[in-house]
Amino acid sequence: MPRQSNQATVPREAAPQTGKIRRLHLPQKLRNLELFLLTIACGVNLGAVVLVQLGALGLIDTTLVLLGASLSGLVFALHFVLRFVAREADPFLLPIATLLNGLGIAMIYRIDIANNESGWASAAVRQTVWSGMAIACAIAVILIIRNHRVLFRYTYVAGFVGVALLLLPLVPGLGREVSGARVWIGIGDFATFQPGEIAKIALAVFFAGYLVRNRDSLSMVGKKFLGMRFPRLRDLGPILVVWALSMSVIIFQRDLGTALLYFGLFLVMLYLATARLSWVLLGMALFLGGALIASQTLEYVNGRFTNWLDALNPVVYDAAGGSYQLVQGLFGLAKGGLIGTGLGQGRPELTPVPQSDYIIASLGEELGLAGIFAILALYLLLVARGFRIGFAGQDDFGKLLGVGLSFVIALQCFIVIGGVTRVIPLTGLTTPFLAAGGSSLVANWIIVALLLRLSDTVRNQPRLVV
Amino acid sequence: MNPSELTLLVLRLAFLLVLWLFIFGIVYALRSDLFGHRVRKLATDATPAAAAPGAPFATPPPAPVPAAAPFAQAPSASASAPTEQFSRQSAAPAAPAAPAGPEKATTQTATRLVITSGPKSGTEFPLGSEPVTIGRSSDSSLVIRDDYTSTHHARLMLWHDDWMLQDLDSTNGTFLNGKRVTVPTSVPLNTTVKIGATSFELRR
Repeated sequence: MPRQSNQATVPREAAPQTGKIRRLHLPQKLRNLELFLLTIACGVNLGAVVLVQLGALGLIDTTLVLLGASLSGLVFALHFVLRFVAREADPFLLPIATLLNGLGIAMIYRIDIANNESGWASAAVRQTVWSGMAIACAIAVILIIRNHRVLFRYTYVAGFVGVALLLLPLVPGLGREVSGARVWIGIGDFATFQPGEIAKIALAVFFAGYLVRNRDSLSMVGKKFLGMRFPRLRDLGPILVVWALSMSVIIFQRDLGTALLYFGLFLVMLYLATARLSWVLLGMALFLGGALIASQTLEYVNGRFTNWLDALNPVVYDAAGGSYQLVQGLFGLAKGGLIGTGLGQGRPELTPVPQSDYIIASLGEELGLAGIFAILALYLLLVARGFRIGFAGQDDFGKLLGVGLSFVIALQCFIVIGGVTRVIPLTGLTTPFLAAGGSSLVANWIIVALLLRLSDTVRNQPRLVV
Repeated sequence: MNPSELTLLVLRLAFLLVLWLFIFGIVYALRSDLFGHRVRKLATDATPAAAAPGAPFATPPPAPVPAAAPFAQAPSASASAPTEQFSRQSAAPAAPAAPAGPEKATTQTATRLVITSGPKSGTEFPLGSEPVTIGRSSDSSLVIRDDYTSTHHARLMLWHDDWMLQDLDSTNGTFLNGKRVTVPTSVPLNTTVKIGATSFELRR
């Protein structure tokens, strides 16, 4: 980095010597690479939609292609904004996010064709519009937040906003209950939104700021036991508060996945800030204990565990709220085989909610193992870039924020894809970028915007922060 | 125009191929990514600066300039423990045999700035051929965020290839080897510069 910024300041240095200000055009290597990858990603997205139409309809319908093209236009707009306000931002985040988003839209469109839905009833059209709004939000974030350290000032505001957003669905009249989980808000019959998705960003900012300020007491003192330094009893406050928060999400909002997401996020950031394994062990023991008690006492958690452990039992399979969905998804994945049935040629609509929670199973059926691994590789690259940005950051707040934000994407992928493939009990969370759902798209694009901003400040100035 | 089975199969395989090519394209680009680039660039830049790039510390350069001969031991002293180094510095004013103090830090001799005390003690920062600004503001090259540092506190600048330390009218002062810097002063190698709660040295 220092070398790179040296090069960037060459014109400034040269100016006094020549006596007149000369504007040197440095080639924006990173941005050009991004443009190249972005073009490929948009091409692949277009190809996916066309393949869906050829496979399912046997003809090419230009209306949705045009809609997709306008979305591509918006992505390129984000790229050009980056050329001016974040020249040194990471060039891989935007193409990867674009490709994942486009693949999701193509798959949702495929389900729409199977369900004979078109116009505003079509989830694909709504998803495209939401994507447009999400990218617009990302552009706004890039333009407004010119330095991530601004967020450090609003640590406690972010914490308050995060908790408030979490509690919003519990407000009577505002909250909506969809398939058992009370995590939506809505005004009237339309515009439902999942505030928990935005809360994860606010909480990541809060955890990062809080831990930078208070980590000394959490990392320095304590007794050594079994080769690890365990924290003092009175320092357990923060972890217990977050644990209580996630347990209340399990109990009152009946959402296992969200609770796991927030607690996992806090645990990882705590580990990053203190470099103590004992926190992770302690936290995992707390959460597993809580989940075990919940599975014994709460009926819906118990049902999830039964569906997971005994999925192929005919009694469980046929029961109401049983493992029918899970097993259908597995059948779909099995039908896909190595290279899939081809886009538009499978039967993903046989699984309940194939466009949101089960989009991975739908994609697995039509793109096969090769396609699923490609998608997982995309997630891996995205998260790895985020970790790299956090690792390269000079200030501790930026480090924690970068790793926290990318870990939240990784954990969410693990919870959803692990649930669909029967690695862990299934819980309702959206697959980042792929699944139908506006709030998730907005939140994930904001995360991408923050990571882009973070990578730009990391590579520019300052070189060393004490 | 109902596409044939074969067309669809070819298109399906082509799609997967493009998807994977995209991923391998990214992995290939990551190889020459900025973060990886840095190591190579530093290595080529450091070669002219340090006589022995492999171990610039352990073997002091064979002193081609005769004036540098009396201080040939100075670089090797910096390799030893900090306590020893401290005694060398405190002994320096007592020994009048040293006419001009330790060797001057120039772009040729000093390649890095090492934080010796403070929160980021042990961190290094490569010195190039452009000035280093020090202060609390985030546009400084070396940002020191403590209560004793001014927004634009001091700067290290080059005067005919020599590193000079200039105090930018800071509130709490800049100290070179314990003495407050009032006018731009030439900085010797391995000498403590103290700003706020942080001290650093310029080293080979």
